[in-house]
Amino acid sequence: MIVSARALTKQFGRVRAVDDLTFELPAGRVTGFLGPNGAGKTTTLRMLLGLVEPTAGEALIGDRRYVDLPKPRRAVGAVLEATGYHPGRRGRDHLRILAGLAGASRDRVDHVFDQVGLLDVADRRVGGYSLGMRQRLGLAAALLGDPEVLILDEPANGLDPEGIAWLRSLLRSLAGEGRTILVSSHVLSEVAQTVDHVVIINRGQLRFAGPLRALERGAVTVRTPRPEQLRANLVSRGYEATTSDASTLVVHGATAAQVGHVAATERIELHALTDSGASLEEAFLSLTSPDDRSAPAAITAEGLRA
Amino acid sequence: MTRLIVIEFIKLRTIRSTWLLLGIQQAVVFASLSVLVVVGADLRAPTAVRQFLSQAGFMSSLFSLVLGILAVAGEYRHKTITDTYLATPRRARVVAAKLVALTLTGAAFGVASALTASSVTAAAMSTRGISPDLSSVETWRSTAGVVAGNALYAAIGVSVGALVRNPTGAITAALLWITLAEGVTAGLLRDLSQWLPNASLLALAYSPGRMTTNAQLLPQWAGAVVLAAYAVVLALLAAATSVRRDVT
Repeated sequence: MIVSARALTKQFGRVRAVDDLTFELPAGRVTGFLGPNGAGKTTTLRMLLGLVEPTAGEALIGDRRYVDLPKPRRAVGAVLEATGYHPGRRGRDHLRILAGLAGASRDRVDHVFDQVGLLDVADRRVGGYSLGMRQRLGLAAALLGDPEVLILDEPANGLDPEGIAWLRSLLRSLAGEGRTILVSSHVLSEVAQTVDHVVIINRGQLRFAGPLRALERGAVTVRTPRPEQLRANLVSRGYEATTSDASTLVVHGATAAQVGHVAATERIELHALTDSGASLEEAFLSLTSPDDRSAPAAITAEGLRA
Repeated sequence: MTRLIVIEFIKLRTIRSTWLLLGIQQAVVFASLSVLVVVGADLRAPTAVRQFLSQAGFMSSLFSLVLGILAVAGEYRHKTITDTYLATPRRARVVAAKLVALTLTGAAFGVASALTASSVTAAAMSTRGISPDLSSVETWRSTAGVVAGNALYAAIGVSVGALVRNPTGAITAALLWITLAEGVTAGLLRDLSQWLPNASLLALAYSPGRMTTNAQLLPQWAGAVVLAAYAVVLALLAAATSVRRDVT
């Protein structure tokens, strides 16, 4: 099932928390929903889930708004940061209530407890759970309805490295079953190994939507006695190149082979040619830096259709 | 809808505060009637049973009010409201289910309070050699008042909780109204004061007393109608605002 936002906008008083956001989440993939704190991620997720009414635009699960889904919990499982528990209630009772609401069977409760590794503590009061256990409980609740779409807000919070690895493999296997999965985070490195697709927003606006690979922009460092001449030749071929000192050039959007080819064609002597591809983190930071007002980088249709 | 109501019952059953409130309610009914006995209420008066039960009805209804408030505001406090609305995005249905479940639970609290109150009354009377007539029409009307008062106050609590959404704020506001604001308002409104919520509750609880402002209490049936009207108006307000407000 495809999840989409169309010109989604939310105005809180004078603050435009989400601004004309359009993206699609492909099925069968884990999509990372990234942006710094305050970028509008949570508000967007809440609009997807019908908890916050959009000022303009719409958010669709398949072809319906969340509130129009006949059995919403069977279609969409969600764990939001603000998902809570009554501390005095036992874990099993908590999930039984949610199972009843989701239209899931009682067997499903034990099944998801087992799936998230909490079967041992199911009869304890949730107030006594650790943060990591509560995250797992939230995930168990989201899985109750065996949903096609899973929306998780900062699910790695409170998980130890082992828990993060476990979450990663769980999400990968769920995506492998054809489900649509959205994982929000303000740290790219946290989800880089889990997601194949990313939607990046900053200050409510879309900065990038597409495959994670497309985010990695090539960067090549070249040392040459004639940097100016090489730079002019590269720029005339559409690459972006800047001289960093008297003999060094940094080329963006090109591979070492492409730069080497240009140099050979123009018979320019090279002393070094290094692939120093900008890391995902750098690309992410440049897209989400506070002063970045440039046009969105790669909001490409090919990335969206997958 | 039935499923939603059943789940509201499970929610109530699986937290301790419900049972705690029920326990405290009985303790307060017991204590407040014991005080009546100690200060020398006339147990031989023809309205004695009625007086005792209406006192219990009034006191116990406050706990049902708190129960109703917590059933909604508690969900906001513990953020379980997110999952509740995710499962039932048509929020008016949630409000309706809570109203039904809490009205019935309030009635059950009322039954418990009526039992406690009649036990205390019967015990106090029998120690003085009076045989209480617990099956008279007056007694049954008083008992019905206790049950209905609890049921309606629980429903009103649901709406107050949905409107205020903060349990402390909602309970404080409700208690301020009961202890202070209604008295002040009654002083201003004079003859209209009998239509205020607590005055209506007293009427419904079949209190033999008078109001402090010298206005007559409404007849019991009218108290029931007025209190039900408050419950309905507040419920509509609660449903309308719950549907519209963003959950953040």
